[in-house]
This record gives sequence, structure tokens and C-alpha cells, in this order.
Amino acid sequence: MRIGIVSPYSFDVPGGVQNHIMDLAEALLEIGHEVSVLAPADDDAEHPAYVVPAGRAVPLPYNGSVARISFGPLSTARVRRWLKQGEFDVLHVHEPFSPSLSFLAVLSARGPVVATFHTAMTRSRALAGLQNFLQPVMEKITARIAVSELARKVQVEHLGGGAVEIPNGVAVRKFASAAPLPGWPGDGGTLGFLGRFTEPRKGFPLLRTAYVTLARERPGLRLLVAGPGDRDELYDDIPKELHDRVEFLGLVSEPDKARMLRSVDVYVAPNTGGESFGMILTEAMAAGATIAASDLDAFRRVLDGGRAGALFPNGDQASLTRLLGELLDDPARRAGLASCARLAVGAFDWPSVANRVLEVYATAIEATDGRVFDDEWS
Amino acid sequence: MPGMWWVVGVVVLAAIFSAYLGWTAQRVERLHTRAQSAERALDAHLMRRAAAAAVVAEQAETVELYAAARLALDAEPGERESAENDLTRQLQAVTLDPADPAARTLIATSRRAVLARQVHTDLVRDALSARRRLFVRLLRLARHHPRPEYFDIVEPFLPEAPLIPAVPVPAAPAEDVLPAQAV
Repeated sequence: MRIGIVSPYSFDVPGGVQNHIMDLAEALLEIGHEVSVLAPADDDAEHPAYVVPAGRAVPLPYNGSVARISFGPLSTARVRRWLKQGEFDVLHVHEPFSPSLSFLAVLSARGPVVATFHTAMTRSRALAGLQNFLQPVMEKITARIAVSELARKVQVEHLGGGAVEIPNGVAVRKFASAAPLPGWPGDGGTLGFLGRFTEPRKGFPLLRTAYVTLARERPGLRLLVAGPGDRDELYDDIPKELHDRVEFLGLVSEPDKARMLRSVDVYVAPNTGGESFGMILTEAMAAGATIAASDLDAFRRVLDGGRAGALFPNGDQASLTRLLGELLDDPARRAGLASCARLAVGAFDWPSVANRVLEVYATAIEATDGRVFDDEWS
Repeated sequence: MPGMWWVVGVVVLAAIFSAYLGWTAQRVERLHTRAQSAERALDAHLMRRAAAAAVVAEQAETVELYAAARLALDAEPGERESAENDLTRQLQAVTLDPADPAARTLIATSRRAVLARQVHTDLVRDALSARRRLFVRLLRLARHHPRPEYFDIVEPFLPEAPLIPAVPVPAAPAEDVLPAQAV
């Protein structure tokens, strides 16, 4: 199958959507399909062979952050040339309602078009106001995919039109084969946390209190923290005598994230809310870590109701401390949970996610006769 | 000469308006064609699902499931929806063995039926909303196309087979674990 994928954001900057598109494209190529990804990028910048650059991206504030996107007459010309030359069986656009290449591609294309919605957009109400204006664009999209329950809800409520929920994939192999950081996890036990520790909803204070309690009884127990944030702010709340047993990595790259997850005995996700899927849990599962997580709906689902990781009541300090203690003392239970996690994460592995996306492609193709072609602005 | 400008204005407006009408007519045409293709696809996937269900029922010798599958396959257009719903109910009650190829086919065809239904519903809604537009109604632009209809069935969803065996397995090296491949 010839597949054309459009990325709204530049590959020059890392980001969730970009990673998703690259992993999907690679999984589809591995299955044996022809894939071309159109993305904003400089012509002379380095990128994978399947990426077609559509010109320099300009920073534009969008939906609460700055997105690097391409938009305008030059981009339009490039999009249309790419569509004409590609002869795609299916066109797959991401975030089609951002002012981006994706929007231009939907506008210029006719035929089987699949759209993936990543964010539950905060300005969805403004979007709903534009519904009449967007309707002609909407109806060019044959099938819709939402990466989370929340994104799907926004789709259904504000834009009308259903969407199939297909979660983000995880590159299991990359995580499972990463080498642990030198000297970790060590013999005394290691707890791990990844995320913005200053954000209340990530629940880091729960883990910190639990760690301080446990570290007093267990002389070798260490804590490994990664994520954005200020180093001093992290150490300020930890007793002085424990400072040399807490390691802060700061913001980590994708490969280092995998190594970090391979370096812990128990990965702790004490989030108190706001998680719609729990991507980090699937990554920890792929890395073979034992997981202790709060019993949010999203986490419960990913962890198969608690069989692929231990759950504790959301926000319950005493339960978390007790659970971590039990896990640290019971290597057999840890191994059991981790091996279940390795099985369960198969459902989120890219090859199987890509197969589900291919089913959506097939459905879109059945509902629209013919190939994707450049539409004369009709 | 102000009268001249007036004429030019009217001509330009008329040109824009007729371009809009042409575009709308094309849009109506396209939406109806797509809704029809989606209906054919949904029909085909439901047939495949019923056939797969019949195979599973024959193997397991479950009479009710077999009867429901046959009824769905043979249903007249008016009874189709309730027959499909009966089949969905029957299917959700049986436990499928993921190791059995017939059961795997059934799970896969059900998944495709879910997708086809979703796309069909969306495309019918798009076509109906186009039919409601003022000029489409006034000029009866949709008169050559039969009115697309929703296919009113419950989600033909089939729970996926559990990935993890009930008893925790002993630790295995990661490479032994095959990802659950979708068919």
C-alpha cells in the first residue's frame, strides 16, 4: 500500500506527535508498505529517508504552546506537488485542524483520508464555533482516529463525528534492549520516577515521603528521578543525609529515558489525576520494570486491572509506602509483575498498533473509491 | 457611468453564486457516493462476521449462535438490524479461544465491522447535513440520490481475548514474547 502521512510539526524539534509519526512510519515500512512523510523541515536538514521536507517552519503560538509549522502559498504548492507525485492509496494527516500542512493537505486532497487527533484541544469551544466553516474540511476526512479517550470525547462532542480510539504505540524493542545506566539499579533497591516533579498532579510528594520513610530503614535504597525541573527545588525537600542517595537526571533524551527505566527496581507512578492514557507506564512495562501506580482509570486499564503492575488507592500515602516496602522485599512478586507487564505491553507495541491503523486505512479505502489525488479546489 | 458598475457587480455576484452552486452540487454528489460505498462495505463486513460466527458455532455446536448467524445472513432488509443485534448479543455471551483460528477470524471480522459501522455513520451524517442546506433543498440538488439512511445497530464490538494468562507466568526472556498481532 502507498501511504502518505502528513506531520503538522517540524521534525527539527522533538515532540510527542513527531515521535508518534516516526514510529508509525517505521512500523509500516517494516510491514512492507511504502510510506512518505511530508513534514515542515529545511531542505538541507538531516532527516530519515522517508521524510519529504515541505520548507522551513515558522514558530507560531498554538493551543497554549509554540508549534513550528508551515503554512502559506509555498507550503500549499509543495503539498499539492507531493500529493500529485505520491499517488497514495491513503492519506493520513495528524492534527488536521491546526493551521498546518495537515490542514492544507486535507483541503487539497480527495479520496481516502484518515485523520488522527492527538490532543484534547483546550480551545475546542472556539473550534466548535467554527464548525460550519470547517464542515467542508471535516467531510473530506473519511475515518478518524483518536489516541486517547479524552481526544475522542472532544471529537464527538465538539466536532461531531465518531473516532476510533487507537492508543499511542510503544517501541517495545527499543526499551527492552536498552542498557541500564552504569552502577544501577544496584543491590540496595532503586525506586524510579519520571516526569515534572513540581506538577502537583504527578504526585511526586507522595513518592518523596514514601522514599524518605523507607530509606531510613533500608540503608541501600536509592531514588532515581528524571524530568524537567530545578535541581535545588528537588533536593530542598529531601533530608540532607539522603542527598547522596537521590540522583536527578534532569530532562532526558528518548534513549536515556529507556536506559533510566531499565535502571530501576520499581517504577512509581503516584499521579493523582489528569492522565488520559499513561504512555510512561507502557514504556516502563516495555523496559521490564516493576510498576507501582495509583489506581487511576487510565492506569488500571493499561496495567490490566493490576496484574501487570501493583496499584494503590489514589493519593493514599500510607498504602503507597507499604506497597513499595512489600515490593522491595519480594523479588519473586516483582519478577511476576514484570513478566506479566512484558506480555501485556504487546498490545501497545508498534507492530500491533500499526496493524490496527492499517485496518482503519482499509475501511477508509472501502468507503471512498479510488486513490488520493490532488483536488482542483472543489 | 454608475449604471455600468451596477451591471458589473451583478455579473460578478452571479458568477460567484453559480460557482458556489457548482461546488455544492459536486459536494452533494461526492458525499452520496461515499455514503453508498460505506454502506456496501458495512454490509460486506457484517456478512463476513456472520459467516465467521457460523463457523465458530458449528465447531462448538452451539445451536443458538448458529441460528443467530443464519438469521443475520438471510435477513430481509427490514429485519437486518435486529438480526445483527441478536448476533452481537449472542457473540458477546460466548467465550472464544484465542488459539482457535476460527475464533481469531471472528474477532478480526468483528473489529472490521466496528470500523465500517463507524465510518458509515459518519458519512451518512455528512450526506444528510449536506441535504439540509438551503440551496440544496431549494434547487433539489440531491434529487438524483436516494436519501442515505443510518444503519441502526449496537456496536458490534467483541471483547478481545485477554493477553495475560490468569496464572502469572514465570519470568521469561523478552524475545520469547510475541506481540499480539492483529490479523
